[in-house]
Amino acid sequence: MSEPLSKIPGGMRYYFGAEARVRRSVEDTAMAVFGGWSYEEITTPTVDYYALFERGMGRREAHRAFRFTDTDGLMLALRPDVTSSVARAAATLFAERQRPLRLCYAASVFRQQSQSHAQWRREQAQTGCELIGADTDVADMEVLVIACEVLRRLGLEGKYSITLNNVEIFNGIAEHLSLDSDMRDELRQLMDTRNAADLERFLIPYTSREERRAFAKLTQLSGKRQTLDKALPVITNPRSRSALERLERLWSVIESLELSDDFEIDLGDVSGLDYYTGLTFKIYVSGAGGSCGGGGRYDRLTSNFGKAEPAIGFVLDLDALTDVLMLRESDLISATDVVEQAPLLTNDDRTALFLEALDKREAGERVLINSSEVRL
Amino acid sequence: MKLTIAIARGRLQAQTLELLAHAGVRVSDEAIKSRRLAIEDEEGRYRLIFVKPVDVPVYVEHGIADCGVVGRDVLMESGADLLQPLTLDIGCCRIAVAAMKRSLFSDCGMLRVATKYPRIAASHFGARGVPVEIIELSGSVELAPVLGLADCIVDLVETGRTLRENGLHIIEVIAESTARLVVNRASYQLKARALGQLIGALNNNDGGRA
Repeated sequence: MSEPLSKIPGGMRYYFGAEARVRRSVEDTAMAVFGGWSYEEITTPTVDYYALFERGMGRREAHRAFRFTDTDGLMLALRPDVTSSVARAAATLFAERQRPLRLCYAASVFRQQSQSHAQWRREQAQTGCELIGADTDVADMEVLVIACEVLRRLGLEGKYSITLNNVEIFNGIAEHLSLDSDMRDELRQLMDTRNAADLERFLIPYTSREERRAFAKLTQLSGKRQTLDKALPVITNPRSRSALERLERLWSVIESLELSDDFEIDLGDVSGLDYYTGLTFKIYVSGAGGSCGGGGRYDRLTSNFGKAEPAIGFVLDLDALTDVLMLRESDLISATDVVEQAPLLTNDDRTALFLEALDKREAGERVLINSSEVRL
Repeated sequence: MKLTIAIARGRLQAQTLELLAHAGVRVSDEAIKSRRLAIEDEEGRYRLIFVKPVDVPVYVEHGIADCGVVGRDVLMESGADLLQPLTLDIGCCRIAVAAMKRSLFSDCGMLRVATKYPRIAASHFGARGVPVEIIELSGSVELAPVLGLADCIVDLVETGRTLRENGLHIIEVIAESTARLVVNRASYQLKARALGQLIGALNNNDGGRA
């Protein structure tokens, strides 16, 4: 017991004052928007079997969970994500419910320090929603529109960009080139870091110089419809092709809703390949050094729990959004920042003091009782 | 939208500024000679910050700098989550294992490795299944095998002269290292146009290949 009691474990922190209020308000805003789109709130267990997360998130990610053992020796974990548990509920508890299911949540997740240095927090507050049982373009668009509404209501209109991709484009390419799992991983990493020079070198055995160059360019810069137009002649295998076409249909809806300023096609975003099965997206907000959220389609997940069905969802990083809003001095802060002190109620007569306070509370006023100088 | 570029002080600084000047990011000699650690280019489009090489990935990963120029050695060691859209032809060198003996692996139950790059060393020997004790030093690493502190070193080799003069041989090259342009993930999306311009300009130099 050499550590002083004043010490706080790495990656953990307090929230108070304006920041705590902004944080609460971001969460309330998001949950209200989810509710407005008919998503029902669900609270999942804070502690659950490790096996659940291992199945749900994949071994690599689940590994980051804080683990301990139950009285019967089974391994437990502090939940490192919410979606795994939601998927289990969908396949079991809600098996008989009408589809699609719309569920939303606001909860902390706990993960051992990640590989990213900028991401030091070990408790992260996540607010998210899941749409389970629908594999349509409409379902894809629904969650994107919901994300836009949350960001708009947070006063971030014009300050954010949502990047779109479809993991099947990568999967199609890897399959077409018959890559083994190590090579697949290398290709993924070269694309993910936008390392065009090494990507071209990697592709030398597979394609012509022009095709290599065109492909490297494609994965390097994000863009609007023209990115898809440029991709079609370069990426021709049927699996990738059908994913590109699905992305193109989605983009047409985005254009027709005049939302194309808020979105980018980013064929180089190949994170989350082990988890997602179709559309993926990431939310970037000006002022934040990393992404403020993201999501995608995960049609395989619920099959782990005995009922295979399509699903899509996303999560917002409450802490990242709060940081951005604190920097911005947005309307959200000015509304919550100044909490004026209520007039101090003082009375030697305890009964009268509390009657006055209760009356004011009944009228909806804020009260502050002088509890230090009153002689009780 | 102004871009902030983190520049590694020291070995790479002069060459980095030269590459940037070719790409249209010009700073006055006066500004460079001053002791200010943050200066603007002549057109006011860029802010340049000068930091220690190991700090470049830190500034860029946190998004304080949108991009930076740093050696691959530093990047591998930092393990930072960054984009690397461009390899630059400056600061070419090798990250190598060197020792007094010509061969290391014949009879070692455990290898003592002195290095400034503990992560690179650990992952290199880890992949080969060689048990190692990493001895982290911050300079004059070549001295460690000579004086018996370590069996070998993992270090940056430019010309190899320091190694030779201390009686060390390169046993194997872990990686070739040149400078890279690294970019913050969020900036890459949110300042796409400005960064695209800079990447394009650097790429059209003789100095860059992508």
